[in-house]
Amino acid sequence: MHQSPANLKKPWWTVVFRDIQFWVPLIVLLIGLLLLRIAR
Amino acid sequence: MNTGKSAFSAAIANPLPDRSRQRLLHKLGIFCGFAAALWLAGAEAPTKLVTVAVSPMVISFMMVFGAFVSRWSLPALVRGTGDTFRDTRHVPHLVLWGVMAGCLWAVGNTLTIFAVRDIGLSLAFPLWNSNSLIGILWGTLLFKELHGSGWIRKAGVVGGAVVIFVGAILISAASTSEAGHGNALHGIAAAVGAGLMFGSMYIPYRKAYITGMNPLTFLTFFTFGEMTMMTVVALVFTGGVGPFWHELVANRAILLWPMLGGFMWVIGDLFQNYAAKYVGISRGIPLSNTNQLWGLLLGVLVFRELRGLTANVYAEVIGGSLMMALGALAISACGASEGEYASVKEAAQRETDLYGIDPEYVASRMEGREAGAREVRRTWVDWLMIAAATLLFVGLGTLAKAPHIEMQTGWLGLFAALLIAVLAACGFALWRVTKFT
Repeated sequence: MHQSPANLKKPWWTVVFRDIQFWVPLIVLLIGLLLLRIAR
Repeated sequence: MNTGKSAFSAAIANPLPDRSRQRLLHKLGIFCGFAAALWLAGAEAPTKLVTVAVSPMVISFMMVFGAFVSRWSLPALVRGTGDTFRDTRHVPHLVLWGVMAGCLWAVGNTLTIFAVRDIGLSLAFPLWNSNSLIGILWGTLLFKELHGSGWIRKAGVVGGAVVIFVGAILISAASTSEAGHGNALHGIAAAVGAGLMFGSMYIPYRKAYITGMNPLTFLTFFTFGEMTMMTVVALVFTGGVGPFWHELVANRAILLWPMLGGFMWVIGDLFQNYAAKYVGISRGIPLSNTNQLWGLLLGVLVFRELRGLTANVYAEVIGGSLMMALGALAISACGASEGEYASVKEAAQRETDLYGIDPEYVASRMEGREAGAREVRRTWVDWLMIAAATLLFVGLGTLAKAPHIEMQTGWLGLFAALLIAVLAACGFALWRVTKFT
């Protein structure tokens, strides 16, 4: 599979943490779980 | 040697050759948005057959279970399970986003149950229906959607979504009168939270489709998150495995209906995902959110709801429906400009660079094409899954009891015919143009 030079040797699970598109839904999910606890 | 940048740069620099293809995909995406709305509304019909008092957790769980079973068997039927795993090998990181989207949906759905309990549907629904506006916000901020388009197009899409939102509030206020019986503050927090969950669920959707992943693949992993989270939530809220199992067994006569709803919902959701892939979340999600309009028609014509109400209420319903239709029309009339396509390609370029994805894969999948034509092959595993899913539905069908409920069979037949016609037409169009990529 093709790899661009910037991430040629970096597996995807190390790149994920630099991706804002990963953090935004994750934080929203955590807020949701907190709301579930409160609304229960 | 990297060719990613050059392949994409070439695609951005030479947009003219594929302009007609882009227009075709845009029309297809709009059609998918409308088909999604119809099927998502149709998914409500089986759940209306549950006339006895059943825990919302049981209904929700069975819908998700029906969706889980369908989401494994439908892709097996359409393209074969092998295709799902082949697709995943190109973009393995997206499995994480698929699971996350499923978790967001399950949490959002449970929050809607608490919101309705605490503040009633008429107040809760408009709050969580803000999800399409949140989707537009994320689409613009994170994926450069609507960037590079003129202000008329921006106004058309955002204005259309706002008009649909206001129309939904009017219909909701008119068609529900039940009040909540709980803590109002908790109810509002739950409803707003549900809107946030559903609206943010579109981040993973767009993330997957900006790299061209097949919606059939994405939804397969979505179900893992959805089923796991829903099972945990159901077990926690009903008091453990024993009490929950007892509830399922006690209500075995109605389990088929929400499960059937889950099956129909998968079809609607698939169309919604194809819409998100080919016209983005800013256009696709508001369009599929017009399902409330079809749901209203279904309720009024088939189940004879909203009879004997005042003229004011009817005016609200008609006004709200017209607003939703006009909003959908405004969005579907707004084609994407050249600048907008370039902007989307830039967002895709970011993905290619960050995750080192094969640019050929991304470029061809974004255009709804397969890089290297491949024949669809189904194995015995696929047929086994299809047979098991069918048997499960048949098994629950033998346990099910049809409720005594007044239905207009003529209208029901017409609605069913419309669903099948749209499924056939949209399915054929997707196969013809994209081979379901």
